[in-house]
Amino acid sequence: MAGTVIGEGLSVEGDITSDEEVVVQGNLRGKLTSSDAVSIGPSSVVQADIAGQSVSIAGQVTGDITAPERVDIQAGGRLVGDVKAARFTIADGASFKGAVDMEV
Amino acid sequence: MSRLSSEVSVLGPATRVTGRVSGEGSLRVEGKVRGDIQISGDAEIAAAGNVEGNLTAASLDVSGTLLGDVVASGPVAIREGAVVRGDLRATEVSIEPGSRVSVRLMNDFELDLGPADAGAAAKRR
Amino acid sequence: MSQSSIIGAGTVVRGNLEGEGSLEIYGRVEGDVSTTGEVLVGEGGAVLGDVTAAKISVSGAVQGDLRGSEAVLLERGAKVVGDLSAPRVGIANGALVRGSVRTEGEPAPAAKRAAGPGLKPATFAAKPVAKTEPKPPALSRVSEPLEAAAPARPKEKAPERRPPPPVLPSLGKGAKGKKKKDRDE
Repeated sequence: MAGTVIGEGLSVEGDITSDEEVVVQGNLRGKLTSSDAVSIGPSSVVQADIAGQSVSIAGQVTGDITAPERVDIQAGGRLVGDVKAARFTIADGASFKGAVDMEV
Repeated sequence: MSRLSSEVSVLGPATRVTGRVSGEGSLRVEGKVRGDIQISGDAEIAAAGNVEGNLTAASLDVSGTLLGDVVASGPVAIREGAVVRGDLRATEVSIEPGSRVSVRLMNDFELDLGPADAGAAAKRR
Repeated sequence: MSQSSIIGAGTVVRGNLEGEGSLEIYGRVEGDVSTTGEVLVGEGGAVLGDVTAAKISVSGAVQGDLRGSEAVLLERGAKVVGDLSAPRVGIANGALVRGSVRTEGEPAPAAKRAAGPGLKPATFAAKPVAKTEPKPPALSRVSEPLEAAAPARPKEKAPERRPPPPVLPSLGKGAKGKKKKDRDE
């Protein structure tokens, strides 16, 4: 049901902009912007700033994350970069290094 | 409805990619791509899809727009309503009436027109 | 009132064919073919030359350009080396083509009309080489002349939605969108 799925074997070098849900299971180097939910799967390696309505990270991401709603780093996920979101969770088993702004 | 192989990526209709898409697997483009696509699997450009860039894939099925060169290790099908411009190299290219194309087909095959003095085929009385 | 002409399987024509009717080629033509009607290059037929007609259907071999003012259709088994241009082009699975294919831009000019009905070879040094007379194997549609009698009357309607040729930017080799045409979805 997700609008866009970048499968595990695929790599994108460049910018992705979308008005629908984006699921990334492959690799991305560049920039990802969606007005809907963004999900980075466990097999993904991403070097990009990500903006989404909400962003869920289960893979490896280097870049700044911005989401008006929420950012979640899942177990096994790893984020190096800054986070700006109203809600932010880091699961047990996740890794994170960066600054956080919860728009307090 | 796509006949693509197991691992299928989809660029949805509200998505735009500016850059290069490459790797293993198949891809259905329903949105816009400005940049080259190079994949090991099958490529499909849906009616709403719009690709400006070169495309390399196992096969290609186009119902949308493709401006760029195509190299396919298998067949290329250009459907009714498609708009395609560029050089196409494939094992087989089919073009449906109702498509708008300005393409160069670079298929390799032998055109054997028979010896000069014989009638065609063996249809002698 | 034009008629159907047939170049039978055992016939070789060296020279140009020009006329107003329709033409079925099962033999070999070395020269250009030009008619206001339809041309069929049947299986086993071969044309070394350009073909200009309202509608061109090919199941045989052609080395030359195909210009249809209405349509060019290549069926399975066709082998064509040359350029195709027509408002409607069809290339079936199993047809082999090497050359350019255009459905955009101006349609091919209508074939010029020769005086008189039927197909009249202009410079004709035809030698029916084999023993057979020009008679196709088993072709019932031959008996009735094709309906494209009046030259300017299209035999089949062009597809309803034939939008004007789009103004597409002329791209070189798959440019990375150096000229973008904005298409709003």
